Amino acid sequence: MRDFAAVAIIIAVIIVAFAAALTDGYYMDIFILTCFYGTLAVAWNLMAGLTGLMSLGHALFVGIGAYSVAWGYTAHQWSPLVTWPIGIGLSIAVAIVIGLLCFRYGLKGYFFAIATLACGEIAFFAVSATTALGRSDGIILPLAKNPELHLQFIAKWPYGLMIGSFLTLTLLAGQFLMRSRIGYYWRSLRDNEDAAEALGVNAMAMKVLSFAISAGVASVCGAFYAHYVAFVDPRSVLGVDISVQLLVYAIVGGMGLLWGPLVGAAVLVPFGMFLRNFSFLQGSEVIFYAVLLIGLALVLPQGVSGWVVGRIGKAKAAAELPS
Amino acid sequence: MNQLLQLEGVSKSFGGLRALHDVGFSVEAGEIFAIIGPNGAGKTTLFNCIAGAQKPTSGSIIFQERRIDGLRPHEICRSGLVRTFQIVKPFLGMTVADNVRVAAYVHERRNAGADAVARAMLKQVGLDDYADVGADELNIAQLRRLEIARAMATRPRMVLLDEMLAGLTATETEAICEELREIARQGVALVVVEHSIPVVSSLCSRAVVINFGEVMAHGATLDVIRDPRVQEAYLGKVEAVAWS
Repeated sequence: MRDFAAVAIIIAVIIVAFAAALTDGYYMDIFILTCFYGTLAVAWNLMAGLTGLMSLGHALFVGIGAYSVAWGYTAHQWSPLVTWPIGIGLSIAVAIVIGLLCFRYGLKGYFFAIATLACGEIAFFAVSATTALGRSDGIILPLAKNPELHLQFIAKWPYGLMIGSFLTLTLLAGQFLMRSRIGYYWRSLRDNEDAAEALGVNAMAMKVLSFAISAGVASVCGAFYAHYVAFVDPRSVLGVDISVQLLVYAIVGGMGLLWGPLVGAAVLVPFGMFLRNFSFLQGSEVIFYAVLLIGLALVLPQGVSGWVVGRIGKAKAAAELPS
Repeated sequence: MNQLLQLEGVSKSFGGLRALHDVGFSVEAGEIFAIIGPNGAGKTTLFNCIAGAQKPTSGSIIFQERRIDGLRPHEICRSGLVRTFQIVKPFLGMTVADNVRVAAYVHERRNAGADAVARAMLKQVGLDDYADVGADELNIAQLRRLEIARAMATRPRMVLLDEMLAGLTATETEAICEELREIARQGVALVVVEHSIPVVSSLCSRAVVINFGEVMAHGATLDVIRDPRVQEAYLGKVEAVAWS
């Protein structure tokens, strides 16, 4: 129950933040990007922190979602009702294929990370060379005749509502999974695969499931991004930058908990945008990220969320001690 | 036919190395059966073949009248045959109760039910006071008990115990032996790999001796360990037969 309480508090914070962001388009922009990266980081952590599968290729699924929308809309005027399922389905299918291949040959740890990184990079270069997908120039999504049906809004708050709701949904579903048989199986695989298999856990099926869910969520984020920015190019949705950013958010926020990476994103995304306000600090957020990452690795190896939960646990234990 | 587990002609080669050759024996329901043999004889390979971690090169392994050789470890576990590991493999990032809960999900899909099974199993092995602490806080004897609790939570007909008692004190050994006898009394067959002859002779009714990958002797424990060939292979040349 305590875990659900934590998620309930976080969802309350998301709602308050959304309400506060309604006052100003700039704040709404920060809110939207924080939710976008937060959702991605939570999905990534479902695999990495909770199943023990470190992916460095999640940009691939963001890209599949984004390009499904961009290509479907510009080439065929398909509505999101068509392009979103295509993106999600394609992402899940690709994740299952990559997963089956990697797990069949027992790729783990760094080897799995490198294999996923390679898949992401292959997609990056393949799309950069494909004329139908706009090559490295990308695709601009023009204004539709009936913009609302294509999720095109002048105001920013509908986008905030969309991504905020999706983040909330992801957290709730993720928390439900973590408290169910599947979540227990995932964590047992993370901690010791041999022991888990000997105790009846179908390792292959559970790992592929984790990969597929994570990829599906990432591709929804990518589809959302295409609508919000109305422009996709390989650099912004398929680049290795996204994959690495997720890693940074997860390490800063903490990988042991479902919502840990969200905390990382909530700290770093607004911070990065804040730094961009100062022209003499242009591009300096990378340096700040790096320093922060080194510092946190030394001081808080379980991340911010792990530290907070640890402090609460200690305070409780102290309160329960007989005086 | 109340043979629970039956091995016939099981062989396993790693390239040119013959780890097991034509191994055959059977285990009855509810008995405590020992696999003994010198270091490197192939006991752990035999174990891995039965539990599905390795696939035998040839031969058949029949459990509850069904061939299990070549099945995946999780399928063998679900058929009622579960193993423990010589080097304990706890889920260190989870609590003790959650460790057992993973195993309980084999038969209990509901969360509350799985948690109840886990806590009942922990009570049975005397770890109920530790249910909600992290598995990384247990000592080696407690981790061995945790392995037993996890194995029992899958509701097995047979448990394979790989050197469950290595490195424990005499008191800890006696306590765990008593628990194993209690488990056998509940009708669960136990197959143990064990080095300590006094433990084997007090615990196990029957035994098989493996030497250089082959069955050297098979039968009642006392007969087997009195066999001069076994004594020579397993213990070296002994002048006085201390165990008779």
